[in-house]
Amino acid sequence: MKIKFTLIALLFLLSNITVANDPAYVNAMQKQLQAMGNAENAAEFQSVANGFSRISQMNQDEWLPDYYAALAYTNAGFILRGYPEEQDKNFDIAVKTIQDCINRNGENAELIALKGYAMMGQLSVDPQTRGQQLSGLVMQTFGRALKLEPENPRAMSLMAQMQLGMSQFFGEGPEKACGIAKQSLEYFGKEEAQETDNPLLPRWGKESAQAVLKSCK
Amino acid sequence: MKTLTTLTIIILFPFCLLGQTILKGKVTDKNNEALPGVNIFIEGTYEGTSSSKNGEFQFETELTGSHQLAFQSVGFKKELHTITLEGNEIVINTSLKEAIDQMKAVTITAGGMEASDVKKAVVLKPIDIVTTPSAIGDIVGAFQTLPGTSNVGNDGRLFVRGGDASETAIFIDGLKVNNAFGTTANNVPSRTRFSPNMFKGSFFSTGGYSAEYGQALSSALVLNSIDMPVRSQADISLMSLGGGLSQTLVGKRNSISANANFFDLGPYQNLINQNFDWERAPHSWDASILGRQQWGNSGMLKAFFQTESSGMEIWQAEPGELGRGDLIKINNNYNVGQLSFKQIKNEEWSFTGGLSYTLNTDQFDLGGLKVEQKTQLFHAKGVAIRDFSDAFSTKIGVETFWNKYDEALLDENQSRGFEDPQANAFVESDYYISNDLILRGGLRAGYSNLINEQWIDPRASLSYKFQHEGQISLAYGKFSQLAESKYRVVNNSIGNTEATHYILNYFIHKNSRTFRAEAFHKDYDNLLTFDGADMNLSNISLNGFGKASGFDVFYRDRKSIKNTDFWISYSFVDSKRKFAHYESEVQPSFAPKHNASLVVKHFVSSLNSQFGGSFSVNDGFAYTNPNFEGEQNQRTKSFQSLSLSWSYLPKPNLIIHFACNNVLGRENQFGFDYANQANEQGIFASSPVGQAAPRFLFLGVFLTLSTDKNANQLNNL
Repeated sequence: MKIKFTLIALLFLLSNITVANDPAYVNAMQKQLQAMGNAENAAEFQSVANGFSRISQMNQDEWLPDYYAALAYTNAGFILRGYPEEQDKNFDIAVKTIQDCINRNGENAELIALKGYAMMGQLSVDPQTRGQQLSGLVMQTFGRALKLEPENPRAMSLMAQMQLGMSQFFGEGPEKACGIAKQSLEYFGKEEAQETDNPLLPRWGKESAQAVLKSCK
Repeated sequence: MKTLTTLTIIILFPFCLLGQTILKGKVTDKNNEALPGVNIFIEGTYEGTSSSKNGEFQFETELTGSHQLAFQSVGFKKELHTITLEGNEIVINTSLKEAIDQMKAVTITAGGMEASDVKKAVVLKPIDIVTTPSAIGDIVGAFQTLPGTSNVGNDGRLFVRGGDASETAIFIDGLKVNNAFGTTANNVPSRTRFSPNMFKGSFFSTGGYSAEYGQALSSALVLNSIDMPVRSQADISLMSLGGGLSQTLVGKRNSISANANFFDLGPYQNLINQNFDWERAPHSWDASILGRQQWGNSGMLKAFFQTESSGMEIWQAEPGELGRGDLIKINNNYNVGQLSFKQIKNEEWSFTGGLSYTLNTDQFDLGGLKVEQKTQLFHAKGVAIRDFSDAFSTKIGVETFWNKYDEALLDENQSRGFEDPQANAFVESDYYISNDLILRGGLRAGYSNLINEQWIDPRASLSYKFQHEGQISLAYGKFSQLAESKYRVVNNSIGNTEATHYILNYFIHKNSRTFRAEAFHKDYDNLLTFDGADMNLSNISLNGFGKASGFDVFYRDRKSIKNTDFWISYSFVDSKRKFAHYESEVQPSFAPKHNASLVVKHFVSSLNSQFGGSFSVNDGFAYTNPNFEGEQNQRTKSFQSLSLSWSYLPKPNLIIHFACNNVLGRENQFGFDYANQANEQGIFASSPVGQAAPRFLFLGVFLTLSTDKNANQLNNL
């Protein structure tokens, strides 16, 4: 049993090493991550998404390129507020990209949380008609991400955002959302304290949790 | 280490210079419009870029030799260009071919109205079906606010474009259900048996519909049940008319919902004065269970069973005679069971199908005459869909129906019945010439064992989308329908009644506004004619004919007024037919010429409330007054009804819904009943056919219990 565990640990380590050992992949990813950090409009996010999907085509067994491509589309979708058809297009591609990636590489908490985020975008395009059907689904999706990884800060912070929106819709106070946001900040803290071998793993999302907390005063 | 790097760079530098190739150009679509955001890259490498706002691109690569340059963008076909990289500048200008994307491509809108959350070209969302004030939770009530329908208030069923209610067939998950409306007495309106929260969407066709559906002269209403509920929950409803309980359990790949309801209008009718003379108010209970199991990536098996029992007793007076008249007693038992499956195998093949069985038993006591009628329908269906390419697909299906009908006069020990197995097959192909133009052609063949006759109905439609997003559709179809069982049991040899539809439709959906206009012409042939009245029919034959033509318009707007959603529809129908007992071509009583409705919903978030209003109007129903010459020689005054509703959500899992139909208490009339014989003055006495009560009030409290506190029963309203 112990040997098996060591073996798995070793394999896990090895897989990280292989990633780190493919500098072309890491460089390409870092270049796009930097571009995403600087992206300000939908066109720039589109071009970042294109960059990540180029990397994805070369690394079909990595989930991160698709993850970031979908994140770029989701960000573009939110930026395009006021153009519902364009918004839908971007959110739809985001959801499809994540789904294709899950079908290929299996699911993990980050992918599921991001899928929930993109669905939250779809909901935001037309909350009056989509709310009934989607609000439950979105919460359920964040719940699933947290089942896979109970301390995932992004799943938690997105859930806080969603909860805040729903409380506002029903004219309730923000207390529930604040509790979730506080919890997520705790997880963000833990995440920051953790060392990681893979510099490409998702680390975003703290600001939106802080934004939710602002409405608590 | 650092020296090594420097050294490498120095050594490699000349080669780099040699291999530096600049790739540039411009990407456009077929209309020569610049395409921004296209992913342009060298296949099998990380190297590439995106096209700019004006479709231009440029990047440098150090690669050499022969490569493939790829152009990729959502909505377009991926394009590959072979290039040889040898340090020269390469200019590639290209225009991408659009990919056929059936979610975005033109759809056939002639004759059809969809309620769906998924597709864009929809007229209604599923939620509208339950929040339309005049509907009070009845699926069909919501469709009666759509163009092409007439509001026949003393019947309650769907009357489409000059057709009677039997000309509309109802399907659940593609399988036909008989007796979808509750059994009722003459002039007492009926409701659909099925709960609206069972369905995720529906397709309502007012003509020219797909070859997949048959045995309906005017209209097909296709209801699709929810695939997977989102959560486990229990729902409790308390209404002024009864109550219900439902429980849904959701597993990883399966779910089960059980539902039981009880209704009794008695206490309500004791409280609020009724126009009808009830001996026993309508009462019913029903129970249903729906199980779902997923398999593989996209397989789904559903099993559905519903059982229902209802009854009523009503006095119906003879016109011109004193007293309460005849006591009509009705007992109804209804059972439906369905097993359906669908499997989207891969890109190429999909399969759907299932089995359905409906058993309806009615026991009537018509002033002492005891009649029992038993209808059975078995339906088996299998459909295969093959996508030959993204532009061409074909649907092939086989179906068999088994109809059995028995009726008996219980006291006289007389009975009669018939049995009719039928076979049907259909084939239909969709061909996208481009994203803007689609052709559909289909054939439906049928065979009835009882009449030993076969028939073939062709169907065709075409749709074209303009640059401005609007689209125009044409549809043509021939439709065959065997007569209703109560006629076939008298004369076993009568065959199909027939209709031919021609439809021209314009549809545009843009910025949360939808506009739809449709013109139609319908020819009827071989319509059923007979002499005598219901229990004493003779000379049943197919000597009738007729036509209906007209147009309708629909406008829906969710944008112009803040937090307000409204739709308005107007239908004009000019229908003349020789049918039933009429001796000449007449305007049927169920086909008023001018029909209009307006539905408004306004959400006030500070009150956690949705307010709704709907108004329906027509120019009156034609009827025959035997005191004058001719048939259908008079018309009632205009039908008008205003309904208001208020839904209040004090907590996310609690809804209080209040609705009032015909708020203004207008005395609508649907026609007149006349005495069979003239009185001493030579006049046929009459009594108006009116509404059950001036108004109808509804109050309901809906509570949802779930671990997810935001769940509610919005779908139950």
